[in-house]
Amino acid sequence: MTKKKIGVYVCHCGGNISDYVDIEKVKEAVKDEANVYLLKNTLFACSDSSQKEMVADIQTNELDAIVVASCSPKLHVPTFRGVAQRAGMNPYNYVQVNIREQGSWAHSDNPKGATEKAILLVKAGIARAAESEALTSSKIPAANVVAVIGAGVGGMRSAIALADMGTEVYLIEKEKNVGGHVANFGSLFTTDKMGYELSANLLSEVKKRENIKLFTNAEIVEKKGSIGNFDIQVKVDNDVLPLHVGAFVVNTGFDSYQPQQGEYGFGEQTNVITLPEFKKLIDNSSERLIFNGKAIKKVAYIYCVGSRQNDEGDNKYCSRYCCTAAIHASVQVNKKFKDVTNLHFNRGIRTYGKQELLYEESSKNGDIYLQFSLDSIPEITQKGGKTFVKVKDILSAGKEVETEADLVVLVTGMVPRENSKLASQLKIPVGRDNFFNEIHMKLRPVETVIDGVLIAGTCQSPKNILETMNSSMAAAAKINSVLTKGEMTLDPTLAKINPSQCTWCGKCAEACPFDAIIQTEFDGRIVAKINEANCKGCGMCTPVCPTDAIDLAGFTNAQIEGMIDALAE
Amino acid sequence: MASNGQPKILVFSTEKISDPALDLAGLLKKHYPFTIYTISVPCSSCIKPRWIMRAFDKGFSGVFIAADGTDCSYGESCGEKTSQVVTTTHQLMRDKGLKPSQLKMAAICSVCAEPVVKHLTGFMKELEKMQS
Amino acid sequence: MEATNNDSMNRSNAGTTDYDVLVIGAGIAGEESALKLADMGFKVLLIEKEPSIGGKMILLSKVFPTLDCAACITTPKVSETARHPNITILTLAEAESIVKEENNLFSVTFKKHPRYVVENDCTGCQECETVCPMVVKDQFQFNLVARKAIYIPFNIANPRVALIDIENCTLCGACEQKCPSNCIDFTQKEELVNIKVKSVIVATGFKLFDPISIERYGYGRYKNVITSMQMERELAPTRPFNSVLRPSDGKVPDKIAYIFCTGSRDHTVGNPICSQVCCMYSTKQAQLLMGALPMADISLYYINIRAFGKGFNEFYMQAKDMGANYVKGKIGSISEKENGNLILRYEDIVTGKVTEKEHDLVVLSVGLLANHEITKVFKNEKLELDALKYIKQPDLLQSPATTSIKGVFVAGTATSPMDIPDTIMSAGAAASETSGYLNQWS
Ligand SMILES: Cc1cc2nc3c(=O)[nH]c(=O)nc-3n(C[C@H](O)[C@H](O)[C@H](O)COP(=O)(O)OP(=O)(O)OC[C@H]3O[C@@H](n4cnc5c(N)ncnc54)[C@H](O)[C@@H]3O)c2cc1C
Ligand SMILES: Cc1cc2nc3c(=O)[nH]c(=O)nc-3n(C[C@H](O)[C@H](O)[C@H](O)COP(=O)(O)OP(=O)(O)OC[C@H]3O[C@@H](n4cnc5c(N)ncnc54)[C@H](O)[C@@H]3O)c2cc1C
Ligand code: SF4
Ligand code: SF4
Ligand code: SF4
Ligand code: SF4
Ligand code: SF4
Repeated sequence: MTKKKIGVYVCHCGGNISDYVDIEKVKEAVKDEANVYLLKNTLFACSDSSQKEMVADIQTNELDAIVVASCSPKLHVPTFRGVAQRAGMNPYNYVQVNIREQGSWAHSDNPKGATEKAILLVKAGIARAAESEALTSSKIPAANVVAVIGAGVGGMRSAIALADMGTEVYLIEKEKNVGGHVANFGSLFTTDKMGYELSANLLSEVKKRENIKLFTNAEIVEKKGSIGNFDIQVKVDNDVLPLHVGAFVVNTGFDSYQPQQGEYGFGEQTNVITLPEFKKLIDNSSERLIFNGKAIKKVAYIYCVGSRQNDEGDNKYCSRYCCTAAIHASVQVNKKFKDVTNLHFNRGIRTYGKQELLYEESSKNGDIYLQFSLDSIPEITQKGGKTFVKVKDILSAGKEVETEADLVVLVTGMVPRENSKLASQLKIPVGRDNFFNEIHMKLRPVETVIDGVLIAGTCQSPKNILETMNSSMAAAAKINSVLTKGEMTLDPTLAKINPSQCTWCGKCAEACPFDAIIQTEFDGRIVAKINEANCKGCGMCTPVCPTDAIDLAGFTNAQIEGMIDALAE
Repeated sequence: MASNGQPKILVFSTEKISDPALDLAGLLKKHYPFTIYTISVPCSSCIKPRWIMRAFDKGFSGVFIAADGTDCSYGESCGEKTSQVVTTTHQLMRDKGLKPSQLKMAAICSVCAEPVVKHLTGFMKELEKMQS
Repeated sequence: MEATNNDSMNRSNAGTTDYDVLVIGAGIAGEESALKLADMGFKVLLIEKEPSIGGKMILLSKVFPTLDCAACITTPKVSETARHPNITILTLAEAESIVKEENNLFSVTFKKHPRYVVENDCTGCQECETVCPMVVKDQFQFNLVARKAIYIPFNIANPRVALIDIENCTLCGACEQKCPSNCIDFTQKEELVNIKVKSVIVATGFKLFDPISIERYGYGRYKNVITSMQMERELAPTRPFNSVLRPSDGKVPDKIAYIFCTGSRDHTVGNPICSQVCCMYSTKQAQLLMGALPMADISLYYINIRAFGKGFNEFYMQAKDMGANYVKGKIGSISEKENGNLILRYEDIVTGKVTEKEHDLVVLSVGLLANHEITKVFKNEKLELDALKYIKQPDLLQSPATTSIKGVFVAGTATSPMDIPDTIMSAGAAASETSGYLNQWS
C-alpha cells in the first residue's frame, strides 16, 4: 500500500552538502511531491538533537515513512533505522538518499548540476519510500545441536569445542575406532607428541563431556531440512536412529595417495614403500632399522608423489604436510638409529614457517638433498639385487647422480577421501582439486554455500594437525554463534514468489546459488517457494523468471520503477 | 534529457562493492557529469531487464551496470548471471531499435574510484556522439 | 547465517566486570575473534593502537590466491565489527598493564591517545588537510608520498575521521578555522583508563622486517630498491600514484626483480624461519604487474617456492605460464648505476655460475617478524614466548589458541607467520577457546 505520510529531511552536513547543493531549491522542488507530509532541512541529520527531532516528528505526525537525504547509505543506514525503530516506525520504511558522495562532492565543480541531481535523487527516494513495505525479521527456532561427521582428530576437536560452548553434539564416525589417521602415528612434527596419545587424549575429553554422544560404525543415511532444523537418519551398527540437528560440521578427512603400480617401482620392487608405511616401520623398529630382514643404511625419499602433478595427473596441488612429515621422519631415523643416511629427492622443500627449523636440523644431521624437476624424474632401477636411484640434480647444476638405496620411501600426498554419498546428501560442493569447497577462501574458509553445512580439517584441503585443529575450532565457533540462541533471526530482505504467477519452470531454483528455492503446492499446482532460512537476498533468481513472479523485498518492481520514473523526469 | 542538454545515464551499482567505488570517487572529488544517477541493488545479477527497458522508455540514453565481478560476496556465478541479464536485455533493445552500446557493463571493485569515473565519462562521450 | 546485529542477544554475565573479553589488536585476526564472540553474545572491547582498525590487510592490493580486491573483502568485515552492538572499539589505544587478580579477573589499564579531533563530529570531509601547512611522510603509504599533520589515515580507514599528528603540528590553528563541523579540539589529553575483563585475546599481529640491516641490498641508499609492502601500495586500487613508478625518477619500470626470503631463513639477521607468505605475495604481485605493465620483465630470485596452501601451487604455475621468470639463485649483492638501475650479482643454482643482471626496480620480499612487545604489559603472570619470540602455544597440537596464562588466548600472526585464511581460522579457534572458558565461569 502506498505510503501517504512521508517525512523528508535534507541535510546540510555542515557545509559539505550545502556549499554546493542549494538546499532551499531542493526543498522548493520536492515540496509538492505526492505523499510528502513534512519537509525539513537540518544542519547535521545524524546529530543527536536532530535524531530526537525526527523521533518526535514521526510520533506526533504519525508519519508512515521517512526519507533522509544526506551522505552515503554505508554510513548511516543503521543510525536512521534506529531512529525509525525508536519512533515505532518500521525501519524498512526509511530510505536513505546519497546527495553527498554522489551529489555535492562528486559534482563540487558544478553546484547547479549538483542541485539538479539532488532534486531528482530526493524525488526518487520519495518514490521508493512511498512503495516501501514494512518488513519484519522472522525468527525460526534453531536446534543448538550439531552433527559432527568424522571422529578423526579434527572431528573430535570440533565436538569438544562445541560442547564447551554449550552446543549439544552427535559425533558420527563410520569406522569402529576414532582418531582417523593420527591414531596410528607415533611421533608427530613439530612437538614430537605421539599420535596415538593425541588421539587417546581427545577421546577421553570427548567421553568426559555429557553433551557429546559418540556413535561409531555410524553413517548418515538420510537428511532433510535446512539450517536450524535438519532431520537426519543415522545408521549405527544395524539400527537406524532419527536425530534432529541444527547444523553439520563435516570433518571427514583425507586419504593417503596410493601410488600406481610401477610408479617409482611401487608394487614391483618390495623395498619401495610409502611414507605412512615408513612411519610405521620406524615406530615398530628398535635400535636398528630393519626392513624385510635387512638392515637399512640408506633411505631415499622421493617427494611429491601424487601431488604437484603435470597435465597427466589430476592433482595439481601441493599436499602441504608431506615435506615436513618426510623430513621429520628422517630426523626421527637419525635420533633412533645409528649410521643411517637419508637422501631427499625433492622438488623444492616446502617447510614453511617454523617448520623450517626441522629442515635445518636434518641438514645439520648430514642429510643429503637433491632436487629434480618434472621433466626428469628420478629413476629407480634394480641391479644385482640392489636398488639404485638416478637423478639429474638441479642443486649441482644438473649433474647426473646415481646412488644406491636400501629403501625407497615415496612421500605420498593427500587426496580427497571418497565420500560422494555424503557430498550429495549434504550438497557439499567440491573444488577443482576435488576437496570440499568453502564459500570464500579468505573470509569464510569453513563455510559452504549451504547454510548450516560447515567443513573443517583435511576434507577442505591438505593440512597438518595444527591447521586441522584451528579450522575445526573455527567451524565450531562459527556455527555456535548462529545456533546458540536457540532461534535464528532471518534478514527480511528476501526474495518473494507470487505463487499465482509461477508456473514452476525451475529456472529460479537453478539460478539460486544457495539452494533456497523449494517446491510447494498452490491451488493444486506445483510452484516455487523460498526457503527463508537459506535465502540470502541476493536476487539472482529474480531476473530469470519468465513470468516475473519473483520480487526482492526492498527492491520490488514498484520501488525500482518508481525511482526510475522519478529520475527520468 | 537534463537541463544542460546532456544525455542521462542510469547506473545500477551494488551495495557492497561498486557503490562504494562511486562514493570514493565523490570523496576524492573525482568529477563526472551530473546527469549520471545511481540505483543501488544487492548484487548485479538481480537487475531485471524490464527495469533497464523502463529506463530507456522514460528517456535515459544509457544504462551502466557496475557489476561485482569476482569480488561478489554471493558467489562466483555472479559475473556469468549478470552477463546473461545483459544478453537478454540486448535482445529486447534490438527489438525496440535501441543500440546495444547504450547498455554497458563493467566489473568495478569497491575502491575502483578512478576506473568507474573513466568508464562513466567515456560512456557519456559515446552517448553524446550518438546523439549528435 | 549472517549474524543479526539489530537484536543481538546479551549473553554477558559481566556483573562487576566491564567486558567479557578484551581483544588487543584490530587486524583481521582481532576483528574475526571479536565478531565471533560478539555474535555469541559476549561483550567485547577491541583496542587498536593505530588510528584505524584493519591491520595490514586493509592496506594490501589484491590477495592471493584468488586475487580478490583486499579492500572489497575486508571493509565489509571492518564495518561489521565497527557496527556490532556487542563490540566497543577504541583506536589509538594501547594496553599499559594487565594484572590477573585472585578472582581470575584481569585488571587492565590502557592509554587512550588523543586525536585532537572529536571523533563523533568529524565528517571526514578533508577540508582541514587542504589548509594544514605541515607536510610529512605518510606512514600508511609506507613513505611513498606525503600527508599533512592533520590527516585521515587512508581513504578506507575506519573510523574515517581525521587526527592530528601533534608532533608535527605547529598549532597554527588553520584547520580549526576551516573545519565546517567545529570538531578540532587541541585541549584533548591522554587518558588512562582502568577496566576489568574476564579474558584477553592477544591479536597483535606481526612486524615487517626492515631491510636496512642487510647492507648489501642497499635499501635506504638505492632509491629503486623498495619493499614488497611499498609495492602493495603501488598496486592497490587506492594507490598513491596512477601507475607503478620507480622512486628515483618516476619512470615506469620494465625490468623488475624480486628478492625472496629477505630477512627470513637467515641466521645473520636472527630470523631462521620461513615467513610463509612472501613467496605467494611476490607471485601475486608479479601477476598484477604483468597485468599492469604487459611489456615488463619480471624476475623472481628464490631459494624454494613455498606454494603449499589451497590453490597456491596452481597460482604459482599460472604465474609461470604468464611469463614470470623464476630464477633459483642466491643473491650476492646489489650495486647502483648512475641512471638508478641496479646490478644484481647472484649465483644461478641451475647453472652453478655467478651471474649479473641489470634491473630498473628491485623489490625486497621482506619477511614477517614476531611483535612481542605486548608481553611486557602482563605484570604478574608471565605471557611466555617461544624461541622465535612469538607467543608461546604450550598445547600446540590440541589447543593452539591457549597461552601460558589461563584466560589469555592468542590469534593470528601473533603466534607465527601465516596468510589470511590461516589467520581467520586461528582467530576462530581463539574465539571458540575463549567462549568455552567464559562458559565455565558461570
Ligand atoms: C604419513 C603422514 C604423517 C603425518 N604426520 C603428521 C605430523 O607429524 N604432524 C602433523 O601435524 N600432521 C601430520 N600429518 C597430517 C595429519 O594426519 C592430518 O592433519 C590429520 O590426520 C587430519 O585430521 P582429520 O580429522 O581432518 O582427518 P582424518 O584423520 O582423515 O579423520 C577423518 C575421520 O572421518 C571419518 N569419516 C570419513 N568419512 C566419513 C563419513 N562419511 N561418515 C562418518 N565418518 C567418516 C574417517 O573414518 C576418519 O576417522 C601426517 C599425515 C600423514 C599421511
Ligand atoms: C606485503 C604483504 C603482502 C601480503 N599479501 C597477502 C595476500 O595476498 N594474501 C594473504 O592471505 N595474506 C597476505 N599477507 C599476509 C597478511 O597480511 C596477514 O596474514 C594478516 O595481515 C595477519 O593479520 P593479523 O591480524 O594477524 O595481523 P596484523 O594485520 O599485523 O594486525 C595486528 C593489529 O594489531 C595492532 N596492534 C599491535 N600491537 C598492539 C598493541 N600493543 N595494542 C593495540 N594494538 C596493537 C596493529 O596495529 C594491527 O592493527 C601479506 C603480508 C605482507 C607483508
Ligand atoms: S609438501 Fe612437499 S612433498 Fe608434499 S606435495 Fe608439497 S612440495 Fe611435494
Ligand atoms: S522461475 Fe518463476 S515461474 Fe519458474 S519456478 Fe521460479 S518463480 Fe516459478
Ligand atoms: S534471492 Fe538469492 S538466495 Fe534468495 S532465493 Fe533468490 S537467488 Fe536464492
Ligand atoms: S576535522 Fe573537520 S575539516 Fe577535518 S575532516 Fe573532520 S570534519 Fe572535515
Ligand atoms: S615464504 Fe618464500 S620468500 Fe618467504 S621466507 Fe619462505 S621461502 Fe622465503
